[in-house]
Amino acid sequence: MSGLKDVYESAREIGKAMGLTLKTLATEKPITVEYPDQPMAVYPRFRGRHELRRYENGMERCIGCCLCEAACPTGAIYVEAEENDPDNPISPGERHAKVYEVNLLRCIFCGDCERACPTEAIVLGHYIDLASYDRRDFILTKEDLLNPPEPNTIIRPAG
Amino acid sequence: MSDWITITIDGKEIQAKPGELLVDAAARAGIHIPVFCYHPKLDPLGACRMCLVEAEGRRGKMLITACTTPVADGGVYYYESERAVDARQGTLELILINHPLDCPICDKGGECPLQDQTLEHGPGKSHFWEEKNHKAKHYPLSDLIMLDQERCIVCWRCIRYLEEWEDKPQLGLFHRGGETVIDKFPDGKLDAYTSGSIIDICPVGALTNRLARFSYRPWELEKTPSICTHCGMGCNLRIDSRTHRIRRNVARENAAVNDEWICDKGRFAMGFASHPERLQEPLARINGELRPVSWPEALDRVVRGLKRVVETHGPAAVAAIGSAKLSNEANYLLAKFMRGVVGSNNLDFREGSAVVADPRGIPSLADARDADVIVLMGCDPGEEMPVLANFLKRAVLRGGAKMIIVHPRAIELTQYAAAFINPTIGAESAAFDALTRATLDASDAIIPDWLPEVEEAAQVAGISVEDVREAARLLSQAKRPFIVYGVDYAWGYGARNLVTALTNWVVAAGHGERLGFLHSQANALGAADMGMAPDRLPGHRPLSDARARRELEARWQTEIPTQPGLSYGAMMASTPDRIRALYLMGADPVGEKPADAKALAELDFLVVQDMFLTESAKLADVVLPAASYAESRGTFTNTERRVQRAPQAVRTVGKSVADWAILMHLARRYAPDKKDAWDTPSVDAIFAEIAEVVPAYRGMSWENLGESGQQWPRDAVSLSRELRPHSGAAIPPSPDYPFRLVVGSLLWDGGTVFAATPQMAGLARQAAWLHPDDAARLGVQEGDAIEIRSRGGSIRTFAHLDPSIKPGSVFAPYSFPAAPVGNLFDDYVPRTSVAIEKVT
Ligand code: SF4
Ligand code: SF4
Ligand code: SF4
Ligand code: SF4
Ligand code: FES
Repeated sequence: MSGLKDVYESAREIGKAMGLTLKTLATEKPITVEYPDQPMAVYPRFRGRHELRRYENGMERCIGCCLCEAACPTGAIYVEAEENDPDNPISPGERHAKVYEVNLLRCIFCGDCERACPTEAIVLGHYIDLASYDRRDFILTKEDLLNPPEPNTIIRPAG
Repeated sequence: MSDWITITIDGKEIQAKPGELLVDAAARAGIHIPVFCYHPKLDPLGACRMCLVEAEGRRGKMLITACTTPVADGGVYYYESERAVDARQGTLELILINHPLDCPICDKGGECPLQDQTLEHGPGKSHFWEEKNHKAKHYPLSDLIMLDQERCIVCWRCIRYLEEWEDKPQLGLFHRGGETVIDKFPDGKLDAYTSGSIIDICPVGALTNRLARFSYRPWELEKTPSICTHCGMGCNLRIDSRTHRIRRNVARENAAVNDEWICDKGRFAMGFASHPERLQEPLARINGELRPVSWPEALDRVVRGLKRVVETHGPAAVAAIGSAKLSNEANYLLAKFMRGVVGSNNLDFREGSAVVADPRGIPSLADARDADVIVLMGCDPGEEMPVLANFLKRAVLRGGAKMIIVHPRAIELTQYAAAFINPTIGAESAAFDALTRATLDASDAIIPDWLPEVEEAAQVAGISVEDVREAARLLSQAKRPFIVYGVDYAWGYGARNLVTALTNWVVAAGHGERLGFLHSQANALGAADMGMAPDRLPGHRPLSDARARRELEARWQTEIPTQPGLSYGAMMASTPDRIRALYLMGADPVGEKPADAKALAELDFLVVQDMFLTESAKLADVVLPAASYAESRGTFTNTERRVQRAPQAVRTVGKSVADWAILMHLARRYAPDKKDAWDTPSVDAIFAEIAEVVPAYRGMSWENLGESGQQWPRDAVSLSRELRPHSGAAIPPSPDYPFRLVVGSLLWDGGTVFAATPQMAGLARQAAWLHPDDAARLGVQEGDAIEIRSRGGSIRTFAHLDPSIKPGSVFAPYSFPAAPVGNLFDDYVPRTSVAIEKVT
């Protein structure tokens, strides 16, 4: 007898689910994003293209310490440091990065560089439009990193 | 093991040597007590308290510093006890109170003992919240060294190094307690020639390398164990590179050679490797202009050019000049190419066959360190080999050695000399006759009748009889003397007699076997070993030795001409008459003597193989870009016959190629029929061939040279040492040229290799040194422009007044391109007379 009961139960569940579907269809808009025509929303802690941040006064945060380079599991980062000209410093203190490159073809977006950085200079942002026809475009230079397409990523909430 | 004692550390019994420091005994047993101020090469001080351990004493356990405590037989120590661990944590916490959090921008970070020991022994947190003390940061102590006073942990290592090894107290501590800072003395400077050693031994990032500043992090460096090629000592160093650029050099320990020190030239003068003016590709003269060409074309042009001269003028019209700065392999192949392929014995290098050197160099560098008597004749280790100079000073100050200096100038080491003999220039052999005679007079040996009386000879030499007798007595009584002569007395007019005379003295004193020649250039001894000489085959066998010739002929598939070639001076003098083609490898005769540019320009064919477009290269028909020693593999033989390896550290610049490879490809193109003889596709293979044809190198291979090299046996080349008469009459002064020219090397010169490091440019100072009295007579003041003239030519330079100069002489250092002393030489050798005039 239980077989008949099962069929009845199943039909009821299907009906319930379909009801929800029909209700949503009627009351809510679709959530599919027409990427790339529409911008893609990402979670706050999403790890996209890198950027190098500055202080409010325009100074670069990066001090060229190479700790990100050391932390990177794929060898995607290359840093050459240089001494600051005291009259025209690029970063606070004695040292800044003369060369800073990220090779996005190697990067696995693990975020270790961001965690290693003592000055919160290198961060992974929300920019994800990374396709290109030219492999060279995947080497981000310091210039690229300092001027990200979507600047000012907040990496930690205040306080 | 009878003279070992037993001590107990943490309940474990270990063996120790009586009197040794607890920290050393523990280390041997695998217990590594942390230290900061202690350094095995410096006197123990006990300044930092990092090494605290507990010791069982009469009044119970107490804390002691392991670095100042000699072990006691039966001593009981606790390293891991709670109190000891606590004390060390406390010490670290205290050190860190005022230590800045600079690690990310500190050049020491990553190889910093303070970081490492904080991780291993530190408390993990601090009780201290207040603002730290602030002191001077990035404060340049000199052109070479940067100080950060905040990072200094007051360990005194730098201070002690400068005092104990350099005898130059140039750094001190000022103020007290937490305010203590390290600094130079007021108005003082830090200019010791091995000052960079304090960077290596500073246990924190307080002292850092200014030239390498911020250009590396220690963990990303490629570390190549190599050697320094600036002087004949061959100090061991490590080349640290990244992205194929040399980032820094640091000292590498070799107990037999440099202990663990290198001089500032070796450490800092490395700019040649990545210099923008390095030759990038072969050049050939096309329509009168040097233009880039491909390697095959360049080599074909060399082959055609040399062959044309051989066909029209015969092989003896071709000459080659090698270099005492280049490897054994490069010099060997150039000699092999000339003798075996071109068929000419015209082979030499500057300061080559004309120098009356002992081909065996000095007996051993280690002798310098425990010598009881040191004799320096015509050499100036203070400028030529600063690390050796430090060993000598230390032997005097700590070992009580007596130093005897015979020199045309009062060199810096003179202040340590028990006897300084400053003979009249041109009459030095008389000084040595006096010394020989005084030595024999004091013994019961037979006195040869050609030897003048002490008084007579001393008078000719212008020296005091007392000094002569004192020096003679010291050397005769020596047990372990270190006796060397240098190029100042072995090159130029009368040098052969002079060397005979000085040898007589040493032989008369009974130390003939201990006399040695101090080669001042990195591979001068090796180049001679390789047969880079007009009349010597590899292994110092004379060209006339038919057996040696036959052996080589079989191996080289050739016939070696039996007529000896021309020496460097003779080659240059007969250019362009007898010599019609010249092959220069790392040699720049026009740079040495600009007046020769005309002769070189008239050659039928000139090839220059070099790193830079030198003055000679500008005249060349073909210029072949050569790799630097750091970019190629090679062996070098230092002045104590130690064959050492210099592996390739970084890749070559542009299209430049290692010297040996250029020569190999050239020979294969020149003589395709000698393919088997030139089947030497690697440095290891060439060195294997050298080990077969140079008897002294037998049994050596690249592999078994190891990281500290191998000395060839001194008896592999025999030399008889006996009393010999000489015809060394004093060279009379000339009225037209009243000054004696003294030449020599300064550490800070203006030579290519040095000038390529622009940060050091301020150190070199071009000048001719005059005695103040002479200067007064000439009306010349410090810094005045002067002209020095000789029969051969003239130079213009600036006057530097210095009382160390013998009146009547002028000291003109080598390697200042704007004041090329070579212009003043007659016949391409020094020891000449000059006139000086103020330029108005
Ligand atoms: S995200 Fe990870 S892989 Fe990418 S650069 Fe940073 S550390 Fe390297
Ligand atoms: S991004 Fe940060 S970790 Fe990387 S070099 Fe700059 S400061 Fe150092
Ligand atoms: S000296 Fe050592 S501990 Fe101090 S800042 Fe430099 S790396 Fe850090
Ligand atoms: S500068 Fe370095 S070596 Fe000198 S006392 Fe300070 S920590 Fe020691
Ligand atoms: S290492 Fe012993 S007191 Fe400094």
